[in-house]
Amino acid sequence: MLRFVLRRLLQAIPTLLGVLTLTWFLFFGTASAESIARRNLSSKDPTPAQVQGWIKEHGYDQPPVVQLRKATVDMLMFKFGKSDATKEDIWERIRQGAGPSIMVSSTIFIGTVLGAVLVAVLAAAFRGTYIDKTTTILCVIMMSVVYTVYVIGGQYFLSKQLRYGPIWGFDPASGLFKYILVPSAIGFAAGIATEIRLYRTFLLDEISQDYVRTARAKGVSETRILAQHVLKNALIPIITNTVAVIPGLILGGLLLENFFGIPGLGSYLFEALGSNDFSVVRAMVFLGTLLYIFGLIMTDIAYAIVDPRVRID
Amino acid sequence: MNPNLLHQLYNLSPVALVGIAIFIFLRARQTPLWGEAFRRLARNPSARTAMAVIGIYATIGLADSVGWYDAATQERRTVIDAIFERKPERTYSAPLAEMTTGEAKPQKIREKHILGTDSIGADVFYRTLKGVRTAFQIGGMTVLIVTPLALLLGLTAGYYGKWRDDVITYIYTVLSSVPGILLQIAMVLVLGKGIIQICLALGITRWVGLCRMVRGETIKHREREYVRSAKALGVTDMVILVRHILPNLLPVVIISTTLGFSNLVLSEAILSYLGVGVPDNVGSWGNMIDAARDELARDPVIWWNLTAATGAITGLALSLNLFGDALRDAVDPRLRS
Amino acid sequence: MTLRIKVPVAITALAAAMAISNIGCTNNPYPAGESKRNVHYLNFGEDPKSLDPTFSFTTVESNVLDVITPSYFRYHYLQQNPVRLVLNLGTKEPTRTRTPDGGEVWTFTVRKDLRFSNDVCFPESKGRAITAADFIYSWKRMADPKIGYPLTGVFEDNVIGWKEYAAAFNLDRKGMADPNYDKPFPGVTADPNDPYTFSIHLKRPYPQLRFIMAMHHTTPQAREAVEHYNDEYARHPVGCGAYKLTSYTPKQRLVLERNENAPSDIYPTEGDPGDREAGLLDDAGKQLPLTDTLVFDMVRESTSSWNLFLQGYLDETTLNANNFQQAMASNGMLSPQMQEMGIRLRRAQQSAVYYVSFNMKDPLWGGYTPEKRKLRQAISLVLDSQEFIDLALQGNGTPAQWMLPAGLFGYDNEFKHPYRTVDVERAKKLIADAGYPGGKDPKTGERLVMNIDCAAITAAARTQYGILKRQIERVGVKVEIRSTPGSIFRDKLIKGSHQSILYGWFADYPDPENFVFLLYGLNSGPGKPNYAYYENPEYDKLFEKVRDMDDSPERLTLLNQMRDMAIEDSAWIPFYHPEVVTMSHAWVANTKVHPIARDVLLYRKIDNNLRAQKQAEWNKPVWWPLFAFAGIALAGIIPGVIVVKRRVNRKLRAGGGAS
Repeated sequence: MLRFVLRRLLQAIPTLLGVLTLTWFLFFGTASAESIARRNLSSKDPTPAQVQGWIKEHGYDQPPVVQLRKATVDMLMFKFGKSDATKEDIWERIRQGAGPSIMVSSTIFIGTVLGAVLVAVLAAAFRGTYIDKTTTILCVIMMSVVYTVYVIGGQYFLSKQLRYGPIWGFDPASGLFKYILVPSAIGFAAGIATEIRLYRTFLLDEISQDYVRTARAKGVSETRILAQHVLKNALIPIITNTVAVIPGLILGGLLLENFFGIPGLGSYLFEALGSNDFSVVRAMVFLGTLLYIFGLIMTDIAYAIVDPRVRID
Repeated sequence: MNPNLLHQLYNLSPVALVGIAIFIFLRARQTPLWGEAFRRLARNPSARTAMAVIGIYATIGLADSVGWYDAATQERRTVIDAIFERKPERTYSAPLAEMTTGEAKPQKIREKHILGTDSIGADVFYRTLKGVRTAFQIGGMTVLIVTPLALLLGLTAGYYGKWRDDVITYIYTVLSSVPGILLQIAMVLVLGKGIIQICLALGITRWVGLCRMVRGETIKHREREYVRSAKALGVTDMVILVRHILPNLLPVVIISTTLGFSNLVLSEAILSYLGVGVPDNVGSWGNMIDAARDELARDPVIWWNLTAATGAITGLALSLNLFGDALRDAVDPRLRS
Repeated sequence: MTLRIKVPVAITALAAAMAISNIGCTNNPYPAGESKRNVHYLNFGEDPKSLDPTFSFTTVESNVLDVITPSYFRYHYLQQNPVRLVLNLGTKEPTRTRTPDGGEVWTFTVRKDLRFSNDVCFPESKGRAITAADFIYSWKRMADPKIGYPLTGVFEDNVIGWKEYAAAFNLDRKGMADPNYDKPFPGVTADPNDPYTFSIHLKRPYPQLRFIMAMHHTTPQAREAVEHYNDEYARHPVGCGAYKLTSYTPKQRLVLERNENAPSDIYPTEGDPGDREAGLLDDAGKQLPLTDTLVFDMVRESTSSWNLFLQGYLDETTLNANNFQQAMASNGMLSPQMQEMGIRLRRAQQSAVYYVSFNMKDPLWGGYTPEKRKLRQAISLVLDSQEFIDLALQGNGTPAQWMLPAGLFGYDNEFKHPYRTVDVERAKKLIADAGYPGGKDPKTGERLVMNIDCAAITAAARTQYGILKRQIERVGVKVEIRSTPGSIFRDKLIKGSHQSILYGWFADYPDPENFVFLLYGLNSGPGKPNYAYYENPEYDKLFEKVRDMDDSPERLTLLNQMRDMAIEDSAWIPFYHPEVVTMSHAWVANTKVHPIARDVLLYRKIDNNLRAQKQAEWNKPVWWPLFAFAGIALAGIIPGVIVVKRRVNRKLRAGGGAS
């Protein structure tokens, strides 16, 4: 198992290299080092000497290959350096921002998975009845609404009109729950429909299998079939589908963080993009890639654990 | 190539898309699998409604693609413009209201507006209609970019394996590791704003999913009996891929495309929030929703922009989703309960 | 069976957990009990980039810095007609002596009772006394090219030895040594006999130096703080002002607390006519500041900040063009509902001007021939400032007749710009005279295209540019709005590749030189604000005279001559003077708006009890929709359960079998 993980991590290094190269191109392909320097130097317009000084200080005057080599080594050692725009320590900010992001996104995640499993099981149990049909229609309708409308509308109704939670802010010391309540509710509502439909499909796939028909013929009750056999087997695709996103939870949701003032990593990345802060963007992209790769590894491992037919080579 | 000609082609592309779709539909109807599926679809009431609604949207989009050059305004005018464009008022007005709202001394309105007017007095219903074409363009062109690319690379990776597979897998792992937002924003910054650029940006992030699926399915089929026997009989790879494997993939691809289409329409709205949406002179629901953020906080509340745009998007996405689901149920024998 | 038991148990447990942690559930976003203290809550819509007093230049940053790091002068808070400087850290008006070679020496004497705030960078964390040396240190930092003082351009040719001192810094850094702040600076010298006096040596008279000494760049700075905090100094300024910075979470929240070492300062005892009636002199003579703590929240979305304000969690909010529409009712007045809540609105014209300018380097719209002049004048005649202000700014602005806003020397209330009274017919005639009848190019029959370049379009900007486009197209011309991401737009301005822009200029200080230099020929080019790239040697000659003059009738004459010259060329069309509007709740006192001062927070007073009471009153949660929702959901499920139970029983009775 350990060897497997190590091997996958090693295989990840070319991916990380590719990602860093791509990010560099995306950044310096769109804006020259001068304009980035000018952006970060002052609100008024700086002199050419100041611009060149800034570029030199940040190492952007080196040839790209040298920059890439240095960046890769630094990133792998988690030396993210300081932000171009604000000179803050990036790793510090990431550590501070990870907490809030995780708190909100994991609440949404857990709520969505549990809720979706529950509703999907109900829909599968009552399949063909109006419950199932209504659920399906409701889900499709909910999936067809733009995410921004969920956030805007949710904030308008839940926070402003009904006052269930603060419109903005995040202070864990004074009661985490109230700050997470409304954003999580919104994230839950926006994402659950897709999951319900997905899990329902998995469940129905299982129900149409031969062994279910056999069990029924043998007189096992519907509920028992559902709970003990179908659900367990359907958990395989459910888990493998959901496990992949867990590492990504750290990055948080950009829109929710912006609207509700949650100091997480999603908005951190977005701001860095907006202020052309290459060092932050590079660090965040690197982190995101690493987490994504972890997610892939975890999916494979989960698959192996849950499905006895699969073995990790 | 004459830029005017290019421009005309670009304008007529939705017509071309619809033409292609109809052509494919007619050909497919003749095959047993699809013919049966379409018959089943026709019997499904919700699918019928969904198709009707999509048809209405498509007609609007088509009407907005057929146009001519108007010498007076020196701009292109389409059928939709001719029928629905109204002279702008001074500023906001509520649906069917008599006076403007949102200014110190409300003025009288020149004509009736079913859905009211926006901040510069443009008719909201008209703006909503103009957004249809954009939605189809974004969905359609992205699909046109993504599908052949994903098919080509997915088939290659799945069928030939080895180094080709490794390279292609590497490419899409790298691409899917970079946060989608970053890719999209950066691409729009590099390429500039415009529908085609947005389609490219959306396409780059989407083709990974389809490619992965195609690759997976190809690998499954590669090991099947019929492929092995075909190979043994000396049939060339190209023929196997195109005549045998590809048709087996089509159901999956088409359903994923239909459902993906609705996701693309929804994504356009989010891109507007991020600031890299469609340029402002093109009709766009995303821009309408983005503007609505501030409008809800006004006094009196200005709700008609948001409602119109959300209604339009939801209507289209809902119909596409329902249709895609019904199609999947009709084509897949296992899912009948 | 297990499933049926598990599910309801899970639901009950979840509900119980929610109920328990829900005790004391409110929608108050602040730490418990904080809002009951003497705290003033504000928001900034964008994060301060840097709070280093030498570097910082934006309004947002000044709002925070000016109460932490005050300077020799400041603006009188209440007397605004005209605005005037009063002594702050200085003891008397500086003396100005001419030198034989045409230069000038200013001598400043500072108060003896100034101390830095207590901070860990000082020994035993006690702030030390301030002398002239700290002011001089601040000037040295201004000369240090690495720090990036924004107005370097103003001083490098004027202060003796500035350029050489700056170059020496660069040399130091190249040699990897720490820059040597111990080296004496010939331009800013200490008085050997008096540790509280220092002098600035200029090559040319510069009357505006007084205003520079009112900006936070010239505040006394502690070398200990700069060396202790290093890169973090930008997030931890240390000064001698009424407040000190106690906590700063970037992009989230910034807290200022009362500075126990602050010098004595009292609320002004005189004001403008009308101030007493408005209650603005009720606190006259009291010790400042009147509030213990200032909390700045970084609320990114304007919808969120507006709603926070309406709920009473933000005490005041300053509006700008981007959110005028939200805040006010259509007539620029408060809605009855807001009046009932006790919200007050105050406004003042800002020392600023918004303008439409052409790029004189552009082949179509630039140029100094009579035809091109008429072309631009035609555009000038169809721009309707009042309509724009009414529709896009909720009435918060004044049409501008020329650059200078009210309150500045050189502002003429009676003056009417010859081409700014809307006259569409005359405009059409002018454009025909210019050779483009109907706005069309006679050679091609196509309408002329006027490109307005701008940064990425927000919803508010869309309205503004839409109205502009509508107005200009009345004369037959076609308007294209070219919006690009902000950095690319700025690049365009710097390179001069734009065609026309709608842009604003906010005064650094209330002297006409700070406005009329927008058309100074030598001010065009990378890093300079003459975006019209206007180069008129006559204008430049007059400017060079006007720049060094004190206010006098001669100066006024010259200013008017420059104005009339520029108007004929119409490269730069004044559009409107923006207003700054502040809305505050009933429990905030002393909220008069100042056109240019940024340290106004010193004077605020909060009535905690009233605030606590109102917040409680306005923020009771509404529970019935939740119950209704739960009720409906249950009602929907129960028939289904019954149906399925019946179905299952029927099957069992029928003896099993396929479903």
